[in-house]
Amino acid sequence: MAEDFELVGKFKKGDQHAFELLVRKHKMAVFNTIYSIMGNTQEADDIAQEVFLKVFTKAGSFRGESSFSTWLYRIVVNSCLDELKKRKNKIISYETEFSEGEKLKLKDVLATREGDIIEDLRKKELQDIIQKAMDSLPEKDRIILTLKEIEGLSYNEISQIMKISLGKVKIWLFRARQKLKEKLSFLYPEE
Amino acid sequence: MSCKRFKVLLSAYVDQEIGKDEEEELLEHLKICSGCTRELEYLKDIKRIFLLKEKKEPEEFFETRLLERIKDRRKQLLLEAYLPVFKKSIFVVLIFLLLIAGFLNYKKFFYPRPTEVISDLLINGQVEENFEGEVLAIYYGSAR
Repeated sequence: MAEDFELVGKFKKGDQHAFELLVRKHKMAVFNTIYSIMGNTQEADDIAQEVFLKVFTKAGSFRGESSFSTWLYRIVVNSCLDELKKRKNKIISYETEFSEGEKLKLKDVLATREGDIIEDLRKKELQDIIQKAMDSLPEKDRIILTLKEIEGLSYNEISQIMKISLGKVKIWLFRARQKLKEKLSFLYPEE
Repeated sequence: MSCKRFKVLLSAYVDQEIGKDEEEELLEHLKICSGCTRELEYLKDIKRIFLLKEKKEPEEFFETRLLERIKDRRKQLLLEAYLPVFKKSIFVVLIFLLLIAGFLNYKKFFYPRPTEVISDLLINGQVEENFEGEVLAIYYGSAR
């Protein structure tokens, strides 16, 4: 975190190399967060570029009141929301049907014990299933689950990024997980 | 406390975002509630599923493409900054040219042409035929 502040400080003074180091350090997190929210690699790449472009032009407005990553995630989330707004006119379906094969694969993975090695092929197949489940959720749920489960941020960080109270973070995450459970209801038939 | 409230707590519990007192209360409840125990299993499953999600790489030459984009944006910003000034300058120059043109030609708008006046006088027989040359000589002489 201190390193980020230092790099931003240098960049503000005109050191472009410091900016390049910031990009190198955060590009994976930025790209994967966007991909998890948008569900498309091409679009994620394009938005990630726009995010860093905003960092470049708006670095002067970063006063260090929050950590650099919190500030960066806020730009990421706002950029995704802007992009999703553009899609508003298109018909979005949150209905998701998992094929029998996908259901079996997911059950199979969950049946393995924690710590067991899962082959690369199965892992790869699982990626699409997880993303499909994410894509089936409303945008707000996708964002909060991404920040928590993919990026592993704390409730405090999420509350700063989404500008909501800690209580809301708790409730929104609970609801998002309940919605995801409904989508994965084939895993829990007895309930 | 209702099961719904415990389920909200469970969600925070798997995230390790729960206070000591609440945790103790929750663990006590789990001993007697099979529904909430199943919920805890589900939440752990979700965590496991997401842990298996691999990080993807952005497309090739991310930094190079970004730096190119920044260059283009800089040019655009420069253009955006100077375009209004350029537009204003053009406007001022145009106004100035119009004023000059008006100043040079105002006589044409406010006074009839001397040839037209002389023609009228000749037609009406009010002056003699060589009058035209004399008047023009006087007019252009004084105009200079």
